[in-house]
Amino acid sequence: TLNDDTEDVSLFDAEEETTNRPRKSKIRHPVASFFHLFFRVSAVVVYLLCEFLSSSFIACMVTIILLLSCDFWAVKNVTGRLMVGLRWWNHIDEDGKSHWVFESRKSSQENKTVSEAESRIFWLGLIACPVLWVIFAFSALFSFRIKWLAVVIMGVVLQGANLYGYIRCKVGSRKNLTSMATSYLGKQFLRQNTGDDQTS
Amino acid sequence: MAEAEESPGDPGTASPRPLMRDLKAVGKKFMHVLYPRKSNTLLRDWDLWGPLILCVTLALMLQRDSADSEKDGGPQFAEVFVIVWFGAVTITLNSKLLGGNISFFQSLCVLGYCILPLTVAMLICRLVLLAGPGPINFMVRLFVVIVMFAWSIVASTAFLADSQPPNRRALAVYPVFLFYFVISWMILTFTPQ
Repeated sequence: TLNDDTEDVSLFDAEEETTNRPRKSKIRHPVASFFHLFFRVSAVVVYLLCEFLSSSFIACMVTIILLLSCDFWAVKNVTGRLMVGLRWWNHIDEDGKSHWVFESRKSSQENKTVSEAESRIFWLGLIACPVLWVIFAFSALFSFRIKWLAVVIMGVVLQGANLYGYIRCKVGSRKNLTSMATSYLGKQFLRQNTGDDQTS
Repeated sequence: MAEAEESPGDPGTASPRPLMRDLKAVGKKFMHVLYPRKSNTLLRDWDLWGPLILCVTLALMLQRDSADSEKDGGPQFAEVFVIVWFGAVTITLNSKLLGGNISFFQSLCVLGYCILPLTVAMLICRLVLLAGPGPINFMVRLFVVIVMFAWSIVASTAFLADSQPPNRRALAVYPVFLFYFVISWMILTFTPQ
């Protein structure tokens, strides 16, 4: 299958030793990169500035819902594939059982390597926004702005789903998430300790 | 098992998915709800865009024009959202616990799409209400809502009933009945002020 041929790439590329193939650092899909960030950031901005932008709560809520939906569709179906070569979907076979499929593209040809700049933009946007929405959820809950809770939860769910899907694509079907996190933390710990030994 | 029926081209490429294809899929599902037939489309290629559109439309139409801008329909909008999605999730969990072999998202998809007749009923009711209140007005709205409610029930059971073992079918269909009944009630008791 597709995953057997991909190399074991860690989640945070910048800290790994790069492979012998040089990664290009220019942006190959400027439109996709723009839209990847545009919908997510606009949704956050509209949420934060809703009192100043419009006196109607409904208008703000519908706008945010629209932006979140566009962002979900764009990130899941377009920007993930173009910018980092990953895709995930659900497949229902003839028996009616549902399977979730997570795939990453074999980078075998020269012109299909993932550019580092695009990869950074992609993961930055993908990780930062769900975290923001979770913060908004807690703030709405504790300041009793309950009417915003519905749209904030929608933000958490939609953006969290994309985050989860793409992390699973990246990690691959062989390793599971906890073992990957443990090995990453272990590496960090080791690096810090050997660094301390050298300086002292 | 991971066939690329999801996007064209061989599995090695990751070509972007065209928007028109998704829009057409949503439209096709709306047609299937309006003319319920024994087909698998709603179940096999599920998506939640239709339910989202219907939910937002319904919530927008159920707004009251209030003079007080402080509560300008915000809570009611969120209310409709919560009732629809929470209700659909609860029914799905219920049918899974009863041993149905339908996946979580497939069930949400069917329940969401089958709100379409009730959304049409809401539209008609709003138009009828423009003619002013009165008993005839109410009878017309009652008739429309009852017809659309029955349509929703028939459409959703056509898709959902097969996934349950025969002796549990009534237990699985009853919450669906309740769900659409609550929505129909909200539509029928709606007044603009």
